Amino acid sequence: MAKEALSDLRVLDLSQGIAGPYCAKLFADLGAEVIKIEPPDGDRSRSMGPFPNDEPHAEKSGLFLHLNTGKKSVTLDLGQSSGQALLKKLLENADVLVESDSSADVAKHGLSYSDLKSDFPNLVCVSITPFGLTGPYKGYGGNSLTAMAMSTIMYNTGDPDREPLTTGGAPAEYIAGIHAWIGALAALAYRESESRGQQVDVSLADAAACADEYNAAMYGFQGAIRRRFYSRHVFGYPMDIMACKDGHIVVIPGAAGFPQRGLTVEGAVSPMALLMGNPELDQNPLFQSGQERMIRWREVDELIQPWLDEHSKDEIVEMAQALRMPFAHVPTVKDLVESEHLQSRGFFQTIDHPEAGELRYAGHPFRMSETPPRMSRAPLLGEHNDEFGAPDDV
Amino acid sequence: MSKPLDGIRVMDMTQVFAGPTCTRILADLGAEVIRMEAPSRMDITRSLIHVDNDGQDVPWERALYFTIRNAGKKEVVIDLNQPRGLELLRGIIAKSDVLAESFTPRVMRAFELDYEHVKQIKPDIVMISLSGYGQDGPLSDWSAYGMGLEPASGVSQLTGYVGGPPLRSGLSFTDPYSGFLGAGAVLAALHYRRRTGQGQYIDLSEQEAAVPLAGRALMDYAMNGRLPERIGNRSQWAAPQGCYRCRGDAFGEFSAGDDWIVISIGTDEEWVAFCQATGHAEWAEDERFADLSGRQQHHDELDSMIEGWTREQDHYEAFHLLQQAGVKAAPVLNGKEALLDPQFKARGQFDEIDQPHIGKRPVQRHLAAKFDEFDASAQGPAPTLGQHNHEVLGGLLGLSDDELAALEEQGVIATKPNLPVPPEIVSQALKLPYDRFLEIGTLRAIDEDYRQQLGLE
Repeated sequence: MAKEALSDLRVLDLSQGIAGPYCAKLFADLGAEVIKIEPPDGDRSRSMGPFPNDEPHAEKSGLFLHLNTGKKSVTLDLGQSSGQALLKKLLENADVLVESDSSADVAKHGLSYSDLKSDFPNLVCVSITPFGLTGPYKGYGGNSLTAMAMSTIMYNTGDPDREPLTTGGAPAEYIAGIHAWIGALAALAYRESESRGQQVDVSLADAAACADEYNAAMYGFQGAIRRRFYSRHVFGYPMDIMACKDGHIVVIPGAAGFPQRGLTVEGAVSPMALLMGNPELDQNPLFQSGQERMIRWREVDELIQPWLDEHSKDEIVEMAQALRMPFAHVPTVKDLVESEHLQSRGFFQTIDHPEAGELRYAGHPFRMSETPPRMSRAPLLGEHNDEFGAPDDV
Repeated sequence: MSKPLDGIRVMDMTQVFAGPTCTRILADLGAEVIRMEAPSRMDITRSLIHVDNDGQDVPWERALYFTIRNAGKKEVVIDLNQPRGLELLRGIIAKSDVLAESFTPRVMRAFELDYEHVKQIKPDIVMISLSGYGQDGPLSDWSAYGMGLEPASGVSQLTGYVGGPPLRSGLSFTDPYSGFLGAGAVLAALHYRRRTGQGQYIDLSEQEAAVPLAGRALMDYAMNGRLPERIGNRSQWAAPQGCYRCRGDAFGEFSAGDDWIVISIGTDEEWVAFCQATGHAEWAEDERFADLSGRQQHHDELDSMIEGWTREQDHYEAFHLLQQAGVKAAPVLNGKEALLDPQFKARGQFDEIDQPHIGKRPVQRHLAAKFDEFDASAQGPAPTLGQHNHEVLGGLLGLSDDELAALEEQGVIATKPNLPVPPEIVSQALKLPYDRFLEIGTLRAIDEDYRQQLGLE
């Protein structure tokens, strides 16, 4: 028996770009058979790069390769009745259909969920759009940036005197992909007991807003409108990226890093004072009051920064961790690939591809003991046309 | 209304943000989630940010961060340092389908509650550990807070102003991100268990979970040995794309106001539509801006032209104007605006709960998916400390009232925390200095009448 968590499922992936393909990738890496339906000229991410030596090539786009591991590719022209007929044939054996706004053509060709529902009552159809299938902004366009703007996260990221900043890496696309995957799995569990499928509506804006930590809650419970202040939290300083001798680290003394009034044993030296090799710092009012540190943060910087400037990233983070303070590194992608820790966990996967060659891919986001996720290469455009009876000459 | 996880019981030993996000989604999908805290070691979010900035005489019951993340769950409070406490916990695990935890790996091993031990208690259990750096490897015992893990995942190197240093997001970003993935992982493991009867162990490292976000940058490094530059709000695939200041009420030292709009122009058609919608048809005539590479090249100049227009606009009005012209745009919402936004309202992004010691308040959805057949909404208020001790230990484990009274007497179970000082003093110490936050600009405003504005009264 197949030892993969989702190996009994078949998923049709009509989506393009990032969110939908990432949802379908999460299915594929857990063993589902994922058939990616591409237009004759391919998913748009095939042209998004990056490319080796910056030379565009439909089979060598880094983003496409990353987001489509383990899938099969079938090219269909849904504008033709033969393409529509074949899609319906594939749907007969499909459990999940993933579609995104780029599959708007689907509706035009009578292939939207309301058209399909009566013929495929067991189908779980996941629809991913920028703002959702309902509500006053239904049909509005968007991407990760617009969703991050709606989420309140962006308003609270960046410097107080500059424009709000989005998080790097198109995060709302990935978050929406994850929510679509959860939604599909939930609808499949529901199908087990109720014997019918349904549509699952996921918007990028809703998904990003689900990640809000406490911006809406501060208003809903206090009437306070939180505002960006160097991306800082309201309950402690420092918990921030700071410069040191050879780069950047995250300085996080944590709950026990500074002297705690009433809790610190007399004569004990705080971890931060130990780290900086100066027990007298514990007498400094900035060491004694978290609120003072928040307000007088520039003075805190003056106290800490010279010491940081004299010490290296590795030195500081290792010493702080030995004192049980949750300091952290700020790795680049190169540092990640070279990380001894990630190597020892076997996180990165080296995958060969007939056109793009051998490359190192980001691994699966979690491990499973009985059904380890597997990653295999992304498909060539239309590579599986024969297997599913699709014409090669569309 | 039936739900997908009806009949599934989750023993939830997680704390703070990532783990509670994972189990909140499971609760919203119908699972019975039983949280656990200890009398001397509450979830630290019970001590963070209180309703109306005042914990009063029950600060642990008035914490807003705790409330939104634990809505709809049950809770037992058990002292695991007493052998009887550990025995009770093992009893609940024996009757659970899922065990979730978020300690540093050494903690569960010390309690003999690592997966090898847990599966002896309940062979088909699905156990998930959410940790900073995973269960093995040289850094597995490192201490980890959410604010360190977004940088540790590589995402912060991709975040920041052009030419500026790497920056964290204004939240512990990998926490919700990992919590979402964890909920999906549990659903996938339950799917496998339905087919095979087999449980399993899920090891989720927050650092690893978010690395795929850097997928494009990783590929560029693998293919070309190139490291990404920070590009602020810009994009390789759209130009102009950015965040632009709008007209807005001036406040504090930020005399220009603080309302913003994001605009993203991907195609040449969108560019022409933008120029026409903003009354600047002449921009569309300028050949320098006719295609994406030209617009990338002149991005700085375009930014100042665009901001010249947006500065005269209301961020919401400009958003609708541009969207109706076919241009991607969105207002940059603050917490208040999100709660009042018509789209979020129409789609039910915030559920109203009636929280003991607090009253009626909105809590955000943790799962964005909207289903035809059921609602993934908050199932009720968050539990008060140890609220379900009797229901769970009496109902599920069959303990008698006398036994429960004896356990309370011995401090094995509790409904009040062991605090070193009286609760009013704790509340006083935990008040945030909002006057000074308003001065320096950490807060934009405080609306005394927020409950009326939100229609809560």
